[in-house]
Amino acid sequence: MTKEAEHAIEVQKLTKRYGDLLAVNDISFNVRKGEVFALLGPNGAGKTTTVEIIDTIRTPTSGKVSLLGMDVTKKKHDIFPRIGVLPQGFSSFDRITVRETLQYYSRLFSCMNTDIDGLIGLVNLKDKTKEQYKNLSGGLKQRLGIAIALVNDPEVVFLDEPTTGLDPRARREVWKVLLGLKKKGKTVFLTTHYMEEAELLADTVAIISKGKIIAMGSPEALIESNANYLVLTLRPVDEKALEIVRKMDFEPVYDNHKDIKVRVEHTDDVRKILTTIKNAGASLLSLDVRRPNLEEVFLKLTGEALSKDPAGEVAE
Amino acid sequence: MNLRVVGANLIVSIKSFYREKTAMFFTIAFPIILILVFGALFMNQDNMSFDLCVQDLDHTGSSAQIVKTLELDGKFKVIKIDPAINAAQYTRNNKLNLVLMIPKGYEGSFLQRMALNDPNASVVLTYLYDPSSISVFMKIQILNSVFAGINRNMSGNPPFIRLTETSALTKKYRFIELFIPGIIAMSVMTLSLFGTVNVNTELRQKGIIRKLSTTPITRTDWILSNILYQFILAVISTIAMLLVSYAVFRVRLHINAWLPLFIVLDVFAFVGIGMILTRFVKEAQSAAAAANAISFPMMFLSGSFFPLEMMPGFMRTIARMLPLYYVNEGLRASMVFDDHMAALRYSAIIGVFAAVVFILGILATKWEEGR
Repeated sequence: MTKEAEHAIEVQKLTKRYGDLLAVNDISFNVRKGEVFALLGPNGAGKTTTVEIIDTIRTPTSGKVSLLGMDVTKKKHDIFPRIGVLPQGFSSFDRITVRETLQYYSRLFSCMNTDIDGLIGLVNLKDKTKEQYKNLSGGLKQRLGIAIALVNDPEVVFLDEPTTGLDPRARREVWKVLLGLKKKGKTVFLTTHYMEEAELLADTVAIISKGKIIAMGSPEALIESNANYLVLTLRPVDEKALEIVRKMDFEPVYDNHKDIKVRVEHTDDVRKILTTIKNAGASLLSLDVRRPNLEEVFLKLTGEALSKDPAGEVAE
Repeated sequence: MNLRVVGANLIVSIKSFYREKTAMFFTIAFPIILILVFGALFMNQDNMSFDLCVQDLDHTGSSAQIVKTLELDGKFKVIKIDPAINAAQYTRNNKLNLVLMIPKGYEGSFLQRMALNDPNASVVLTYLYDPSSISVFMKIQILNSVFAGINRNMSGNPPFIRLTETSALTKKYRFIELFIPGIIAMSVMTLSLFGTVNVNTELRQKGIIRKLSTTPITRTDWILSNILYQFILAVISTIAMLLVSYAVFRVRLHINAWLPLFIVLDVFAFVGIGMILTRFVKEAQSAAAAANAISFPMMFLSGSFFPLEMMPGFMRTIARMLPLYYVNEGLRASMVFDDHMAALRYSAIIGVFAAVVFILGILATKWEEGR
């Protein structure tokens, strides 16, 4: 398979400046056809600027972006029918119903055979077809936005922060829809600052910080190469156990004066900590051992926290 | 240009309009309310008639004759008051501003003057009036002039100075007939200007234009559908205004090809101005303020409501620099005076203006969201 046939998106040395602000700084990456690619980073990292250059909304300062083999700055009108876009902060016409909105966008693409009912079913809006846009909740609006991005049966779908601002339940409902897209084999370019979202949905994750891509690979590979340790979380009965762990020679990850999280290299270290606590006569209410996640990878790579995670737990 | 796309956009705009009751009200009902209010206010100027209460204490054929003379003059609708009641009390109780009292002995004095040629025979008619009333003095003036005429006729000498009134126009026009074209021009202006500015800034602020910029719809499709939408609204509004004007005021206007032409030119001119404004005003609220800043002076200075003759000279000069003036005058020329040459002249001026601002508006319209 040639490179062109293999890659839906090719980004080479892309740079975008707004006056003195360097929003995107000489980044390069490829997105394979049929994969879910997540651009993960905090607010202001350059995610939206990058995606809006690729989906033709913005023009680059320098660099080359090729989408489905076409230059995004020169072949806009050939590109439009083959992509679907959910822009950041998506909104639609207030007094137009769900069905009418989909029919409208379908007409814009001159699609004669759009399966409106199929799309409504895909985003689970069957009981809202006659509801006007203004009456939909935030999660329903985003699901409609995803359906709109699919009216022309696009080869590449761009979803710019599709779950930002949604409550955890609405967010999970959107994830279900995105998993459906993944199953259909669509190429999906996703931007998010939720590591759980990227970890759950993406085949490839590119971590972007201050306009630069600082790491890229599958979630497993990123974790393996950047956070090859285990996280032990302990909830002791009293201060005694905490003091014991603090005095041991391990790197604490997180301590909120109730739980203590410790990075350990091997399972033997877990056994060692537990034995020391037991021998000192201290007790534990609970313990948990898990692999690190992308949040910790981001923390390690940038020294900064990424975000508040979807479950509402503060990631450190 | 893709007509399917233009049609889709038009359908969405019309559905949104139909479902937005406030917009419906301001588009259709507001100009109609203006016509009804101004029409009612100025209707009396066209056919002024006052109520006049008369207490005939003489109750004779001669006194009845003078009451009849007043009625035949056409300026008064006479209401007769029972001679037995106290006129002053009656005036206060019924909040009347004027009662004309014909005294007992009127016929005797009248016959003495006419039959016996007694120059000293005279009669005193009394105006019992409310001095706080504004309109009562106009009534008294009219009555004075009627009685002066009667006195003159009774003297038998023809007047030395005679007056005659001749209209320079071939027919008499009513205020409401001159007012309707101005209101049509003004309504189409506000619809087109505010419609363009509000819709474009709102859609841009909400990010809908950003989404649309990733679809095959082009700037030309968008502008064309907006123009068509504004034209449809203008036609609906104009038809509603004309129907009410015909039904309520029985106006006589010439409806011909000039009317749709002036509506089209009005729409193009003010959609063009709206598109230029949208380029420079980012927020919906400031957009509305900017549209107001343009439309309000235009409404009051271009002669939509008031004749230019009421304005000082320098303001008349300003009025002639405003595009709405040419729509007002063009519509009046065609609808009221049936003057095709004048309509052609005004349409040429507003046509050139509309073409220029519309082209500038197209150039100013930024379709792609970001650069």
